[in-house]
Amino acid sequence: MQPIMTLVRKQYLYSTSIVILFLILITRFFYLQIYKQAQYFKASEKNRIREVVVEPTRGLILDRNGEVLVDNHPSYSVYAIPFEVNKSDSVLNLAGQILNIMPDEIRNIIKNGRTGRFTPIKLKRQIDFETLSRIEERRLDLPGIIYKIEPRRYYHSGVRAPHIFGYLGEITKEELNQAEFKGFYLGNIVGKKGLEKFYENELRGMRGYQYIEVDALGREIRKVTDKPEILSLPGKNLYLTIDAKLQLLLEARLDTLRGGAVVIDCTNGDVLALVSKPDYDPDIFSKPISSESWKDLVNDPDTPLYDRMVQSLYPPGSTYKLVLAAAALELGIVKPDWKAFCPGYTWLGYRKYDCWNLAGHGELDFLGAIEQSCNVYFYKLGLKVGLDNWAKFSKLFLFDKPTNIDLIDEKSGLVPDRDYLDNQFGEGGWSRGMILNLSIGQGDLLVTPLQMVRLAMIIANEGVYYQLHLLNYLEDPIDGTRKWPSIDSIRISGISQHTYKILKQGMYRVCQGEHGTGRAATYRNIAIAGKTGTAENPHGEAHAWFIGYAPANKPKIAFCILVENGGSGGKVAAPIAREIIKYYFFTSKVNRDKI
Amino acid sequence: MIKFSDIKITGADYSIIFVVLTLIFIGLLAIYSVSYQVESLALKANFTRQVLWFFISVIFMFIAILVPTKALHASAYGLYIITIILLVLTLVLNRGNVVARWITIGPIRFQPAEFAKISIIIALARYLSHEKRNLSKLKDIAIAVGIVFLPFILIVKQPDLGTALVFLAIILPVLFWAGLSSFFLFLIVAPFIVMISSFNYYTYFLAMILIAIVLFIFKPTIARSILIVVVNIIVGILTPILWSNLHEYQKHRILTFLGMEMDPHGLSYQVIQSKVAIGSGGFWGKGLFKGTQTQLRFLPEQHTDFVFSVIGEELGFIGSLFVMILFFIILLRGIYIAAKVRNKFSGLMVIGATVILGFHIIVNIGMTVGMMPVTGLPLPFLSYGGSFLVVCMILIGIIINASIRRFNY
Repeated sequence: MQPIMTLVRKQYLYSTSIVILFLILITRFFYLQIYKQAQYFKASEKNRIREVVVEPTRGLILDRNGEVLVDNHPSYSVYAIPFEVNKSDSVLNLAGQILNIMPDEIRNIIKNGRTGRFTPIKLKRQIDFETLSRIEERRLDLPGIIYKIEPRRYYHSGVRAPHIFGYLGEITKEELNQAEFKGFYLGNIVGKKGLEKFYENELRGMRGYQYIEVDALGREIRKVTDKPEILSLPGKNLYLTIDAKLQLLLEARLDTLRGGAVVIDCTNGDVLALVSKPDYDPDIFSKPISSESWKDLVNDPDTPLYDRMVQSLYPPGSTYKLVLAAAALELGIVKPDWKAFCPGYTWLGYRKYDCWNLAGHGELDFLGAIEQSCNVYFYKLGLKVGLDNWAKFSKLFLFDKPTNIDLIDEKSGLVPDRDYLDNQFGEGGWSRGMILNLSIGQGDLLVTPLQMVRLAMIIANEGVYYQLHLLNYLEDPIDGTRKWPSIDSIRISGISQHTYKILKQGMYRVCQGEHGTGRAATYRNIAIAGKTGTAENPHGEAHAWFIGYAPANKPKIAFCILVENGGSGGKVAAPIAREIIKYYFFTSKVNRDKI
Repeated sequence: MIKFSDIKITGADYSIIFVVLTLIFIGLLAIYSVSYQVESLALKANFTRQVLWFFISVIFMFIAILVPTKALHASAYGLYIITIILLVLTLVLNRGNVVARWITIGPIRFQPAEFAKISIIIALARYLSHEKRNLSKLKDIAIAVGIVFLPFILIVKQPDLGTALVFLAIILPVLFWAGLSSFFLFLIVAPFIVMISSFNYYTYFLAMILIAIVLFIFKPTIARSILIVVVNIIVGILTPILWSNLHEYQKHRILTFLGMEMDPHGLSYQVIQSKVAIGSGGFWGKGLFKGTQTQLRFLPEQHTDFVFSVIGEELGFIGSLFVMILFFIILLRGIYIAAKVRNKFSGLMVIGATVILGFHIIVNIGMTVGMMPVTGLPLPFLSYGGSFLVVCMILIGIIINASIRRFNY
């Protein structure tokens, strides 16, 4: 049998095969090492260099006089390095035992938080010193379990104001999906409520990055020299318009009550104090809150988590008579000398409507009716003005709009106009008597205390108001530069100076008049203008209201006080205003002029 | 009788030796680089141990050069039988172990499968070089294939599929070199095609049509044609049955080897890191001892199976190309010598040795650049490992031996 090929031909065949195979491999080298070099070099650098995030220091929160209200304090957080702890079960079991976390839960935390084999995952933040020392004792049995110092919020000024400050918490999965939190990962701490959330971007600062060379086991070899570290930038310090002393004073004064108080500078919209009671100690949120404490807070019938000044709606009671009064004057429906007789009640159809003073006020003129807060006078006025005008002026005074204060979850009031009532009760399903209730701030009308203080400011400034705000300015902690928010003065159109003048006279008489319902608010020689309210509600005793401003001739501050189920506004709420006046115009005289 | 005058060292192809020494030197550098920054004494010892093995392997190479052809020819079957006994012993002695690859005698521990590479090519060369051999006879082909298949099966049993594949790889090139006709090449290749196609009715059917067409072209006797068809049908039926009896990882490797299954997890971590190492080396490399993938140990098996990645990373495209050229010289010289040698036995041994080296080189480097599956085949002369280096040097010795005696019949 003849061989098919000679050996020489086979030699060529075999050699050619080798050449082809080698060329394929060399082409591959070319592809990897020259064409794709940059990509693979990047990959090898990513292997080699561990990016360590340096979280920035969060900005502080200070009051208008520079007193630190929310500070940072060192605390320890425990982390696990997945690659190390996944080697054996014993590490996680022991860690779980010390940290008081179920082993399964730890595994879940690690599974969910994993971003890299060597990137530490936070297991527990702010462990106490005892836990820390137990970890330190078992150091050798806990490879891959590390702890880091991380600041936590610390409140040492005595001011609680939890509703203003809000609190921090671990970022949620939902938040991680939001564009605002790009680059964040589970375990990061962000603002959850209040100013902490509202000014999250300002307070947070900029992250820094360190680059550390690691080997395949994740051991840190050295700091990378060819890639410079990026320093973190601390967050901005928040200087508030809050006056810590006034805040403290009101927190103490209202401590046993349900309700709140807000004091503003009516010449610029600065919020000087904003208190809501009952509240909670902000410190309980500075460490991970236990589910029991959380449940207690959520289920507390006094709802301490709610900011009553911002998030709660109340019937305003007689304080709202000012709105009706403004409508009546402005529309020329009555003149200030229009008189009405109060026998202590009035009839509408077959229904009897009482005055709060069942003995009757007798004959009152316009100012007298405001001074004594006569219901019968305002029932009659309400019937003259009518629902539509009343609703129109309610909206002129912005009761259908929130104040847009720099806090989250602010509620807006409810102004029942014709559309609303038709909707609610069906067309014709509501009677003419509705306007009687609304005239004295009852019925379906609901407002927030913040809206009421805005009303006081509008009247005090005769139609001008300022956006309410807690932020005085932001300060860069590095170079000390300050940034003020722009606060515009806004004029309400449609109400004349003349109307305001009469409203102001009425409010003056509430506090200074012989029969004034708000006389309890006056302190020494400071003339106050105000309006009391005693709002009936289905939850028991009436809510005590008092709104106003001072000094009456040249308004500087405005305030609103609310005591839930406190009873008479004049007896319960007005005396609190007196303390505000006392503090503001006497005790703090020196401090005030400084700013 | 073997005469003293048969022992010759003159007229050798020393260019190969020079190339091989250069490769070993590069390999030692790479192994040194791997242990360069490590405190691990075990790793540092690797380098010293490999240097020692280098000297030992040079001695073995010279023995292989000096042994007269006749002596090799005479002992071929004896060596083969010893090899088979050793392979059976490996399985018997390690019974109960998951992996049975080594025989330990006192301080010596070796892998019979490595040395089988040598004895099989010698035995195969002797069998095929016999003047009465007729490679158009099915019986002769079957015996030749059987010579390789027996150790193949024994090594698959260990299990060491990577090494076993080396044996399969030498069959066709050696048989073809020995004078196998294209028709018989077809006879051997056909069952493998049927095997692969047997998992799907359509491809199976297509393969059988192809076989019919080839039979029509070559026109063998009716009886043979029927036999071929029947055998292939049986292969097609048996393959899926045998397949289901394989270990999962064996299936996995075979599939990957055939390019039918991508391996996104397990083994691919090694391949990804290897590609990153080689790719990041760029044109000039990161410099000796400066490869971050190597020095920080992101490369797996970097001193053994993935030693080429160290070269690729630290010495770059230039270094890789240089190594390829050196390998290229060895293989081409091997084929050249095989063609020039007058003695058919020597020629077949040389082609066998060259194919073994070539298969290792292509499969190993192909693996490091992600073109071949991870088979665990080391890279000749460069990878760490004593017995493998000795085997490679003996194969080189056999090639040089033949080149010295190329004018002898």
